[in-house]
Amino acid sequence: MSDTREVISSGNDLAAMAAVDAGCRFFGGYPITPSSEVMHTISDLLPRAGGAAIQMEDEIGGIAAAIGAAMSGVRSMTATSGPGISLKAENLGLAQMAEVPLVVVNVMRGGPSTGLPTRVAQGDVAQAKNPSHGDYKSITLCAGNLAECYTETVRAFNLADRFMQPVIVLLDETIGHMHAKAVIPTAEAVKAGIKPRRTFDGDPKDYRPYDVPQDEPAILNPMFKGYRYHFTGLHHDADGFPTEEKETCRKLIDRLFRKVDEHRDEIESNEEYMLDDADILLIGYGSASLAIKEAIGRLRAEGIKAGMFRPITLWPSPEERLYELGQKFDKVLSIELNQGQYLEEIQRAMGRKDIQKLTKTNGRPFSPQDIIDKVKEVF
Amino acid sequence: MSRIVMRFTGVGGQGVLLAGEIFAAAKIKAGGYGVKTATYTSQVRGGPTVVDIQLDDEEIWYPYAIDGQIDFMLSVADKSYQLFKNGVREGGTIVIDPNLVYPTEEDRKKWNIVEIPIITIAKEEVGLVLTQSVIALAIANTFTNALDEKLLIDTMLSKVPPKVHEANLKAYELGKKYALEAMNK
Repeated sequence: MSDTREVISSGNDLAAMAAVDAGCRFFGGYPITPSSEVMHTISDLLPRAGGAAIQMEDEIGGIAAAIGAAMSGVRSMTATSGPGISLKAENLGLAQMAEVPLVVVNVMRGGPSTGLPTRVAQGDVAQAKNPSHGDYKSITLCAGNLAECYTETVRAFNLADRFMQPVIVLLDETIGHMHAKAVIPTAEAVKAGIKPRRTFDGDPKDYRPYDVPQDEPAILNPMFKGYRYHFTGLHHDADGFPTEEKETCRKLIDRLFRKVDEHRDEIESNEEYMLDDADILLIGYGSASLAIKEAIGRLRAEGIKAGMFRPITLWPSPEERLYELGQKFDKVLSIELNQGQYLEEIQRAMGRKDIQKLTKTNGRPFSPQDIIDKVKEVF
Repeated sequence: MSRIVMRFTGVGGQGVLLAGEIFAAAKIKAGGYGVKTATYTSQVRGGPTVVDIQLDDEEIWYPYAIDGQIDFMLSVADKSYQLFKNGVREGGTIVIDPNLVYPTEEDRKKWNIVEIPIITIAKEEVGLVLTQSVIALAIANTFTNALDEKLLIDTMLSKVPPKVHEANLKAYELGKKYALEAMNK
């Protein structure tokens, strides 16, 4: 039997389907363009799968409810757009600090503030790295086509449970709303790949959720099952109780970094498209990569050998691969629907300042011609 | 087949989105590729809306129609018509509702402009204004010959509630009839 199926759908609907197939049983949210269809669809699917979806009083209530559900042990999600992430920021920080697994879908629109509600942008990439104050490591995935709206949402649930923290899935208005064919894994294949979060099965008296190796996440058993711990956003000890003891505080933040940094190989995911014989390296992600692929086909028809590197995991960034590519290619063009938020990361990872950039922030998508013109202009 | 690129324009609330979804779904059912994108404004009703549809046997990466490559456009609102008409290639066909869209003389020289009173047909002949998107679907397919008619109608019926199947079938037949009359003028 085939492990894949063909569906005709939109990115937002696929993200909702993926969540339910990946075992998500709770959604808390508040509708916002251009992400509302995620909530519409999951509100239809979840009750039939034995779960619940709640429209809360606002964005903050949405993520707070989702965090509560996650603490009870179920896979939980919220979805929003950039303005909603701004409102959810405080609770994202709480989930980072207390180590609560959660999937947060952000369908990006033009910003800042209420910006351009119905139009495309990729302006929340820097926000996704540090939505809340304080030190922690973001895990952010970015879908570059319809199928990935499904597969990256599934992956986000597995990563959230593996690393016990929020995982952000970035879509954008174009990908969220475009409607076409996608070949995705069957629900059975997704179910077979679910890796549930770890639990402590010993004597409840010995349960110390934050007493774990320095490169590993906390082990949070579901609440109300006899394994008790204290839950707080304050710096905390092995049992979760607040502390200001200096070595405990140092080790806590060190661990929040190392649990991600030392397992990058489990998180990193990239696409390399026609790079083998390329002279020109184009770097882009999300819906911009659709225009880039079309442009590469047309550039090659004119004898210009361009290829694309597309990070699917944006945070942590694929810094080693970017460094290698920076050594290999002289001609590098970064393409994104913001003023260069990821360009800064590319420059840092490559150790180079001479990266060309193509940006757009008027709510309109790149056309393939925009990219072709820029390549011809700068190289 | 080579790529067929269509654009439907109106104002928010008119329901032009559905026709695009039906085209894309029918093409995919036939084994090809179909992509629909919609662009709209934050005005829920009354803002200009454009739906792009691309149909091809080869995979389609970029989801939007590229200006200058659109073969067929249908418009039921003047402000959307004025905003989006320049995407249509010279000599391409633009079907307009003459009660709502006002092309210039220059437009009539540049494009094959066809007048069909889509909204009036939906209101008065079908008796259900919502069926305008199916009338539009029938007109578009009659002009472009993009897809097998039976497949398109079956796909359409699968996307509308059973209680309005009859009205939508009537809408399709009327759209086709008006399109054929306009083509034979």
